[in-house]
Amino acid sequence: MLDSALSLPLWQPFLLAQEEAATETFNAVALVNQTLNGIGIIGILLLTALGLAITFGVMRIINLAHGEFIMLGAYVTFLMQDWFGLDLLLTIPFAFLGTAIIGAITELTIIRRLYGRPLETLLATWGLSIVLQGVVKLIFTAQLKYVRAPAYLSGNIMLLTDDAGSPLVAISYYRMFIVLIALALLGLTMYLFYGTPWGRNVRAVTQNREMAKCLGINTQMVDLITFAYGCGLAGVAGSVISALKSVAPPMGQDYLVDAWMVVVTGGVDKLIGVLAGSVLIGEANAIIAYLLNDPVARVLVLAAIIVLIRYRPEGLFTVQKRA
Amino acid sequence: MTDAVMGFRQTTFPLKLALIGGIGLLIFVILPFVVGDFQISLMSKLLLFGSLAISLDLVWGFTGILSFAHGVFFTLGGYAMAYYLKLNLSAENNTYGIALPDFMVWNGLETLPWFIAPLQYFPVAIAAMIGVPALFAFIIGSFIFRSKVSGVYITIITLAISSALTTFFVSQQAYTGGTNGITDISSLSFFGTPIPLVGLYFIILAYTVLVLAFSWWLTQSNFGLILRSINENEKRIAFLGYDVARFKIFIWTLSAAMAGIAGGLFVPLNKFISPVYLAVAFGTQVVIWVAIGGRGTLIGPLVAAILLGQVQNAAEKVTQDWQLIVGILLLVVVLFIPSGLMSLLPKQFSLSELSKPSGALRRNSVKNASQ
Repeated sequence: MLDSALSLPLWQPFLLAQEEAATETFNAVALVNQTLNGIGIIGILLLTALGLAITFGVMRIINLAHGEFIMLGAYVTFLMQDWFGLDLLLTIPFAFLGTAIIGAITELTIIRRLYGRPLETLLATWGLSIVLQGVVKLIFTAQLKYVRAPAYLSGNIMLLTDDAGSPLVAISYYRMFIVLIALALLGLTMYLFYGTPWGRNVRAVTQNREMAKCLGINTQMVDLITFAYGCGLAGVAGSVISALKSVAPPMGQDYLVDAWMVVVTGGVDKLIGVLAGSVLIGEANAIIAYLLNDPVARVLVLAAIIVLIRYRPEGLFTVQKRA
Repeated sequence: MTDAVMGFRQTTFPLKLALIGGIGLLIFVILPFVVGDFQISLMSKLLLFGSLAISLDLVWGFTGILSFAHGVFFTLGGYAMAYYLKLNLSAENNTYGIALPDFMVWNGLETLPWFIAPLQYFPVAIAAMIGVPALFAFIIGSFIFRSKVSGVYITIITLAISSALTTFFVSQQAYTGGTNGITDISSLSFFGTPIPLVGLYFIILAYTVLVLAFSWWLTQSNFGLILRSINENEKRIAFLGYDVARFKIFIWTLSAAMAGIAGGLFVPLNKFISPVYLAVAFGTQVVIWVAIGGRGTLIGPLVAAILLGQVQNAAEKVTQDWQLIVGILLLVVVLFIPSGLMSLLPKQFSLSELSKPSGALRRNSVKNASQ
């Protein structure tokens, strides 16, 4: 089980424990703590946005059911623990596979019919998100489920302690774990996209579908696998996040808007943009929350993103291309 | 499409439309005298949701701007009215005397904030109910429509607006009542006498009819023709010398004002307003009404809002999973009936066909027969 000190600050990416900072007397320490908090948020943002960076960033599918794929991943982890008592780390592949399969079915039945019609896709995926929530609620009821985090990942890394030995600057192992797994997934995805023949096919299809088809690439298969992979990543995110708070049907909604903002901020052309987006949003939130307070931080960051979309709809980290 | 050339001013009275509209209106006028208080209250609510959906239809169905922020405009109007009703709560009903609403006292406010105080006067409240959402929409519209930002990104911006405002209203507990919103409000009164439920129903019915008629007139005018052209091909309209952004900002602001009034009328009926109506979920609900009813049909969203509301009311007695049904319905409509349920009606009953003077109708059918 997680101790409350760990689960509270991470309850929601943006609603950080401000009290933690308030009790500190020494400002620099508080600032460092808040920066570390920011790293915790970055991990969650990166993890939840990575799948969307594939489905929206690469494939340009407006996927409003992204949060529900996160939720499905969390439920797979819950089921695996409930049935077989598996360690959380071991459930991650199942979460990936489970959500990837559901993602593939979604692509075949819904997304495929709507390519080139972004607003219809948006509506259909919203409908899908309601349906997935409803179905999960039917099967598992609306009751909150709890997932055990591995014991070896509980506790904090003490970076600085005061004379009495109580921590001044600390970051929990689980948060570090989230950051690491997010970075590892980002690295893996970048390798897949920029280092393998399949990735080259995907990029060819997104750049010029007709030409790719002429050159003998099975574009429908590429679409199917890419979408399934993006959904699988969302499932991994759900699996990892499930231990932070309870698992419930509407849990995906909390992450949807934030994941979107990360992808839009970072830019959709390069996968590395999603890292940049999470770092910017995560740290901006933590620092503004330290200087003012949490809700103001969220409002300011969202306002900044609106301004950013207005002037650079292609995101911060995109090379200007000639049309 | 025959309705694409409907730009000319109607000279002949559309008899069929008037007839069907009249019968429809008659049903709604008789309704409160045959059903109970619960149904009157429910129908009033659904009529307002219908008006809200019509206002979204103006910007989405006709101009092609998909907005999740219409719940926000609705709620802003609602808050203006809620402050007025809260501040006019009679002294005996108010726990802490007339000076200060209860939630402000709980949160340690000593005096009424200067920006809320004027709302205790009815004309100011009415002006705020229309003006605040309109001004907010105007500022946002001027900011985003004068850029190269395309459809989907505008939708994401509206998502961000809805999310940001929800957080903001929840956090400003002393001024907005936080998550609970503004509750325990007085009822709307007319020169000292409280308006009964039936009276409220008729005010709301009148407003809905006004919204429908005005929107219909607007979309049949030359202005509406330009709006539809923007939806069809924005670049071409720009090349023809029209300032596309100005048209978008105008319809966006107008639609926000209409949503705001609906929100203002919703509060005396609902007896409270809270950030629930600001949140993305409510914004999507409005989008769903329009999508299911049929974009660009005006009557479709209204019918969808009323029907879905009634079915939901009936269904919730037997099942907890009403949302699942809505989701499936939305999926089916988007995938198989992209122009909404209204398009399933026989063509003779569509609004544009009915609104034609009888002469034009004959000419059209002759033309169709010869093809």
